Amino acid sequence: MPRRLPIAVALAATAALALSACGTTHENSGQGGSSAGQAPANCKGPSGHYLIGMSQANNAEPYREQMNKDIQNAAKAIPQFEVKISDAAADDSKQVSDVENFLTQQIDLLIISPNEATPLTAVVKKAYDKGIPVLVLDRKVDGDAYTEFIGGDNVDIGRQAGEHMKKLFPNGAKIAEIRGLAGSTPAKERQDGFAKGIEGGNIDIVATVDGDWLRDKGQAQAEAVIQAHPEIQAIYSQNDPMGEGAYLALKAAGKEKTVKVTGIDGLPIPSGGIKSVEQGRLAATFVYPTGGKEAIAAAKTLLIDCKTVPKTQTLPTQLVTKDNAADVYAKANS
Amino acid sequence: MTDLQTEPNERLETKTSTATSIVSMLFRFQSLFGLVAVFIVAVLLSPVRDGANIFVSSDNLFNVVRAVSEIGIIAVGMTFVILIGGIDLSVGAVLGLAAVGSAVLMVNDDFGMWPAILIVLAAGLVFGLLQGIASAVFGIQAFIVTLAGLQIARGIARIWSGGQGVAIAYGDGPGEAPVSFSLLGERTFNGLVPIPAIIFVVIAVLAILFLRTSAFARHVFAIGGNEKAARLSGVPVTRVKVIVFGLCGLLSALAGVIHAGQLNQGGPNDGSGYELDAIAAVVIGGTSLSGGRGSVVGTVAGALLLGVLNNILALRNVDPNVQLLVKGLVIVAAAGLQRLRPAS
Repeated sequence: MPRRLPIAVALAATAALALSACGTTHENSGQGGSSAGQAPANCKGPSGHYLIGMSQANNAEPYREQMNKDIQNAAKAIPQFEVKISDAAADDSKQVSDVENFLTQQIDLLIISPNEATPLTAVVKKAYDKGIPVLVLDRKVDGDAYTEFIGGDNVDIGRQAGEHMKKLFPNGAKIAEIRGLAGSTPAKERQDGFAKGIEGGNIDIVATVDGDWLRDKGQAQAEAVIQAHPEIQAIYSQNDPMGEGAYLALKAAGKEKTVKVTGIDGLPIPSGGIKSVEQGRLAATFVYPTGGKEAIAAAKTLLIDCKTVPKTQTLPTQLVTKDNAADVYAKANS
Repeated sequence: MTDLQTEPNERLETKTSTATSIVSMLFRFQSLFGLVAVFIVAVLLSPVRDGANIFVSSDNLFNVVRAVSEIGIIAVGMTFVILIGGIDLSVGAVLGLAAVGSAVLMVNDDFGMWPAILIVLAAGLVFGLLQGIASAVFGIQAFIVTLAGLQIARGIARIWSGGQGVAIAYGDGPGEAPVSFSLLGERTFNGLVPIPAIIFVVIAVLAILFLRTSAFARHVFAIGGNEKAARLSGVPVTRVKVIVFGLCGLLSALAGVIHAGQLNQGGPNDGSGYELDAIAAVVIGGTSLSGGRGSVVGTVAGALLLGVLNNILALRNVDPNVQLLVKGLVIVAAAGLQRLRPAS
């Protein structure tokens, strides 16, 4: 083998050189003329055909799958739109590549739901600087090199969840908190907001555990909490699947009737939080809107109507309890 | 060592049967042929816009190399580990730890760029050496040692970062990283060639030369081929094994530094699952998981093959779920080719 390797080295080296040599300067041809940020410059009106790249952070999360569905459904109504969806599988590096690949395909508009803010900022700016309108969903990027941010307010949702907890226990209570993935922004925001919301209500968080947004992890963590703190009266879960897991743990301990669980997300699907509330497993959940429908509406405004859009669109949440669960579900699926 | 014995035979064979030698040639460069085949398919399948094939645009090809550079660097280290019959599952977590370390040292602790990089690389090296010691000296299986190492590195990264991704801002003030560190996310030669791609190529060339010329490399092949025989013939088996794991840790840490520079952040969860991509690149590259046989050239080709595959699937807008399926099938096909390989 050693004798032959020089050939291999040479091959590899020439291959690398050949790869670069046979390329074209194609990247200069596309959106070049349009100035950054002025989205309507891309506008070809109703007669155009538009390729929209949707860079999703992680299809494996039901919330993000719902966002994709909302985008696809909304785009179906607009014949000029062709939407391509990529999945970064929760990897920042993969998502950077996904956006680069969209740029290679010369998309007319980028929708991105970043896995994390800072790592995606540079590549989003690259797209924006090429004159491609960028709609950022759910999680922001740093700086202002994007066209519009559309998303819910996790701090506010956490705060409302905290205030709802005070309403459930006017005389105070001992509760546990199940957080999402440590290190993720929404986990921190939903925690901080909740802490604000319960201020002055004598709500005592006796245990905080990480459930990584996952049902099975939530169940295991809740089992441990129930063992260590049998006195808890409620569990604040930062999303619905972990809340469902906590419910399973409570049921195994025979406490599902006495300990209340609240969640967040409220997806309008059969396995989602709204149904969990309707069927009595969760005491309440808060709808965290995907922004998918709104993103396509914004794309239409920019590309077909040739108008501008606001820099930020904050989507309101909605409290779902047993009283309104069926209505909310029906409305979301109409 | 085994090569020295087989080569005279090979020369005889070439005289007697050119057919068998062509076959064995094919298998020798199997990983390169795989890359070439996937490359050709990619060119054929690539969308064409304004008469230009978008896959072979220089911008796109450099995107491919940039995208595989971190995995590629890790896979080079992984090649050495697999050559001795080991495995290292901790590489992705070590990448995350190194990314966090780079960010925390420069942003929170005001270290200069080079001190921070050196500390992080040293940490990766030590982490790898410790895993090597646990595996080679105490005889715990590498799979278990590095599975534990994965958890430990991830845990340290989360503690060190406070559980949050540490954003890297650039400047001269306190709480800012030196501007030169941002070069890792830049491109040179007219904004065309990504810096991480250059580092990957340099590392690959060094490793190829190292594996070809050094006595250490012969020891690596000997251990992977037959550990007992290697020990009996005087190869310092334990020392070589420990160093190989150290090398893999070092290269994983280097990938982590690049990761932090490319993404302007050190995230404690970064690099999840990278170990599997790295192992896939090594196996596609023709290195045997049972050790003793393989090459860094193959690994580089394997990494590029995965990169080209990812890229063309994306350019064709293949459904992400179907992409997983296609990638899995290609890996199985490459591994299947290994079984066809002649024993020589």
